[in-house]
Amino acid sequence: MDTCIEKIRAIGADLLAKGEVEIIIGFSDGSIPMAARPVAVSSRDDMEKLVFNSTCGLNLANYVSKNSLSGKGAKIAVVAKGCDARNLVTHMVENQISRDQIYIIGVPCTGMVDKRKIASMFEDEITKFAEEGDTLIIESALKKLTVKKTDVLRHNCQVCTHPNPPVFDVMAAEPVAEQTLDQPFADVDNIAAMDPEARWAYFQELTQNCIRCYACRNACPLCYCPTCFVDESSPQWVGKGQNQTDVTTFHFLRAFHCAGRCTDCGACVEACPMGINVREFTRKLNKDALELFGWEAGLDLEKRPPLDVYSPDDPNDFIK
Amino acid sequence: MMGNLLEHMGVDRDRIHFSWISSAEATKFVDVVKEISDKVRALGPNKKFVKDYNK
Amino acid sequence: MDENSIKIVSFLCNWCSYGAADLAGVSRMEYPADIRVIRIPCSGRMSPKFILSAFREGADAVWVSG
Repeated sequence: MDTCIEKIRAIGADLLAKGEVEIIIGFSDGSIPMAARPVAVSSRDDMEKLVFNSTCGLNLANYVSKNSLSGKGAKIAVVAKGCDARNLVTHMVENQISRDQIYIIGVPCTGMVDKRKIASMFEDEITKFAEEGDTLIIESALKKLTVKKTDVLRHNCQVCTHPNPPVFDVMAAEPVAEQTLDQPFADVDNIAAMDPEARWAYFQELTQNCIRCYACRNACPLCYCPTCFVDESSPQWVGKGQNQTDVTTFHFLRAFHCAGRCTDCGACVEACPMGINVREFTRKLNKDALELFGWEAGLDLEKRPPLDVYSPDDPNDFIK
Repeated sequence: MMGNLLEHMGVDRDRIHFSWISSAEATKFVDVVKEISDKVRALGPNKKFVKDYNK
Repeated sequence: MDENSIKIVSFLCNWCSYGAADLAGVSRMEYPADIRVIRIPCSGRMSPKFILSAFREGADAVWVSG
């Protein structure tokens, strides 16, 4: 992936020079290893800040809808992996941004690494992270490990079927091969196989460490409501404490608001400080969207989302 | 889809009902109420998603 | 409270099921007294928040009817 960053920088410099965009949203190195952070570049001198590697796990579409510039109609370029581009498409379908306002620098993605998994291999703090092709070289004060990237991929990247941006203005590299899965939702099926009480216990245990920081919501490109339901106070839909019912209600509603819109980008899990796999909720919704409506979010600019339109063919077995 | 997610999380499917009854269908209304009532009685009181304000 | 008594929070559309409930009433039909009716202006007013709110406050079941 190191090769494509030069291309991204060149494209970015060219766009800024021609005045086609005012700002480029991409990733830059964080202050510690494996913590790539979003960066907005508006001058050619800062172009060196842009990087792209296997730790860019956040979703940049998030910074378009919440960016004060997008409201003013400024043109923005975004360095977009498959999932970022799909979320940009979702923004366009939901009329948050217009297509001609966004310049998509598409990056074919080979997956992002699970930082918690890597951190768990070390007893002390990681001091260096480098990658060469499929190999990751990670160092701490005590030891140095060489691991295969495929062994430490995030789960959503393992099951990703759209690593290439479906919509783009320019591609920074050749598209990568897309996989097809026999059982794309094996994790959901495993939970579904449990009996109801076990499922309930599973989700209670899953969320019991939640500290209600709302990092999952803030990292999610879909969550752009001016006032989130958790912040509403009259009526108050959900309590603000760590009462288990409130926690469960929050996670249920947060996930349900993503129904038929989630691209499974994994930014919510990436952002969670407590390591809760909040995708467990949205995965079920994605499975239903695919099985009931044949829908995967963010692939098509023309099609309306399934919960947005009525069709006589909609499944209605649940209505008496 | 909401019913499905609730069910996935372990809430009984018979605790959430949807129906379509025209304003002229009083008999259907009565039938549906009876059906739902029977199903929920069979399940007993709900314990999930209930907020205990004493905690 | 009696162990056998249950509460079914019912969200009824003003124009459809609420009318049906009204008609059932004037026709003197009998039905179980387990439902607690909330009239909504249209089923389109329904929101997932309502359902969870009902469960939070101790509903045994929720019924949405258009």
